[in-house]
Amino acid sequence: MFISENSKVLVQGITGKQGIFHTQLMLNYGTKIVAGVTPGKGGQQVHGVPVFNEVKDAIRETGVDTSIIFVPARFVLSAAMESLNAGINMTCIITENVPVFDMIQLVEKSKEKGLHLVGPNCPGMLIPDKIKLGIMPDNMCHYGNVAVVSKSGTLSYEITKAIGDSGIGVSAYVGIGGDPVRGTTMQEAVAYYSEDPHTKVIVLIGEIGSDEEEKTAVFIKRNVSKPVIAYIAGKSAPEGKRMGHAGAIISGDVGTAQGKIKALQRSGALVADTPWEVPQLLKEVL
Amino acid sequence: MILKGEDIEEKVNSFSFPAIVKSQIAIGSRKKAGLIKIAQTQEDAISLCREFFSRNVAGFDVEAIIIEELAKIDQEYYCSIALDASGRQFYLIASKEGGIDIEEVSKEHPDAIIKRSFPYSEGLTEEIARDVAIQLGFSGNLLQSGIDIFLKLSKITMKLEAQLVEINPLIMTASGLFAVDGKMILDDDTDFRQPVVQKLLDRKLSELEKIAKKEGFSFVELSGEIGILANGAGLTMALLDVLSELGLQPANFLDVGGGASKERVYKALELIFELQPKAVLVNIFGGITRCDIVAQAIIQALNDFSNAPPMVIRLTGTNEKEGIALLKEENIDAFQDVMAAVKKVKEVLSE
Repeated sequence: MFISENSKVLVQGITGKQGIFHTQLMLNYGTKIVAGVTPGKGGQQVHGVPVFNEVKDAIRETGVDTSIIFVPARFVLSAAMESLNAGINMTCIITENVPVFDMIQLVEKSKEKGLHLVGPNCPGMLIPDKIKLGIMPDNMCHYGNVAVVSKSGTLSYEITKAIGDSGIGVSAYVGIGGDPVRGTTMQEAVAYYSEDPHTKVIVLIGEIGSDEEEKTAVFIKRNVSKPVIAYIAGKSAPEGKRMGHAGAIISGDVGTAQGKIKALQRSGALVADTPWEVPQLLKEVL
Repeated sequence: MILKGEDIEEKVNSFSFPAIVKSQIAIGSRKKAGLIKIAQTQEDAISLCREFFSRNVAGFDVEAIIIEELAKIDQEYYCSIALDASGRQFYLIASKEGGIDIEEVSKEHPDAIIKRSFPYSEGLTEEIARDVAIQLGFSGNLLQSGIDIFLKLSKITMKLEAQLVEINPLIMTASGLFAVDGKMILDDDTDFRQPVVQKLLDRKLSELEKIAKKEGFSFVELSGEIGILANGAGLTMALLDVLSELGLQPANFLDVGGGASKERVYKALELIFELQPKAVLVNIFGGITRCDIVAQAIIQALNDFSNAPPMVIRLTGTNEKEGIALLKEENIDAFQDVMAAVKKVKEVLSE
């Protein structure tokens, strides 16, 4: 989504443990990481990538247009605000446990500026064989024509690898994150890939909590002509318990897996019973 | 207000009856849970207080009791400020039906609910507050106090970074509007800047859940017999779904988290063993998590706990070959296919 093999990538929080580790993995994949930012550490280098104190210095010196954020939760608001104010086109927040009110402010800012935000609490994005902007495994799949949009990380790795193992290629993989307030909603991601000429089928991986799948289902019914295949986790989850993700909670009968499955089926999507059934359903529509 | 441990009879003496007796406990739906009741007499109130203080609901004790003399209620209302997470905005919600389950009403009589959205940056304006108060039928003095209550709700929402601040019911009596019961939903992730959240978090977790939080993994106690160690919240949920569909009941949800160390995996197993499950299923899809490290932790745990339940292991992803080889040296089988591992669990349980 809004990235390509030509994206010039900035890593915010590049000198932290996660930043150093994943910068190396993304460089190995072929991602063009041209700058890092850590306040107070300007002038250093990480794996040969120059580090700057501020995002606007990085833009001036290297022309970055895309940012990936690894800073600790309490610094995400200021890091992402800096990125948005500097005009970075796509900002992807990997960090977990970002306060919800910080995300609301960031989403408002991104809309006001017409810029794009993904995450938080997400594995990032991947265009197989072209660019990896995230922390997902490298070897899940090759390039193809199926877009995968997921709320969860590991579950989507499992499904994307199963898709790859079955010989089907992936046009893009997007982890939108497991928090209640997201930079990009499921519906916005589906809208993007329903227009994307490289994508023939959309795979949606949802889970209990919120009403995003239900809203997305209404959107699919009205606007999406491409086939959609979905899997929803949490059919057996108890009410009122947070299942790992901040957003994965059923309250009353809002946010149940059964409700989401019904809504998606009504929209014409094919819903898989288990994660490992997704490749088989893909073969039926491709 | 009567605190736990105070002399109930002496405190109750200062009220006149009938009165409403309300437990102070950090859960919602207190009325449904039988924690708010009307006492006709002093004796009623004393026995209700004794009953409430002995209750524990969802891990919470009743810590205090509030007694309020019953005023003549002319009308009950509902009002709240709620975050609309997927819409990334807020709602002021109000209804002429108070003391109710708002989700029920919004489904069955959506017309009975007044709902106005507003963005974070603008906050609740006096204009919206006034519109809603007028729609509720307030006029004169009541109109101004209704507006004030809505604006205060909004202030609390923003100050505490709450996802819900609710008054239910708000009652109208001859002397004005009163908030009888309230509820808030706060954001766990603000504990570093919201002292009240930090305090509540400390109290609401069970002992095992506290250990889990300290060690850095997500853990929810369930009631079944199969211990679960997995990674990734979504993948763990999917695994529980597959088990449940086969009639197998998990004892817990445990997401060991990304990039788990040997110590963390070991601690997770220790925690699961405390639940005394009949079998343990390990399901790891290694991304940043390394399968060989998980294997080392399993071997260590099986050495240290002689009474460990039978374990079924599925490892795939980063360093899976090394992990499976390590287990094989100890004569422990590992699966690469999830469904095969689940089938094995079923076999183990029927033995």
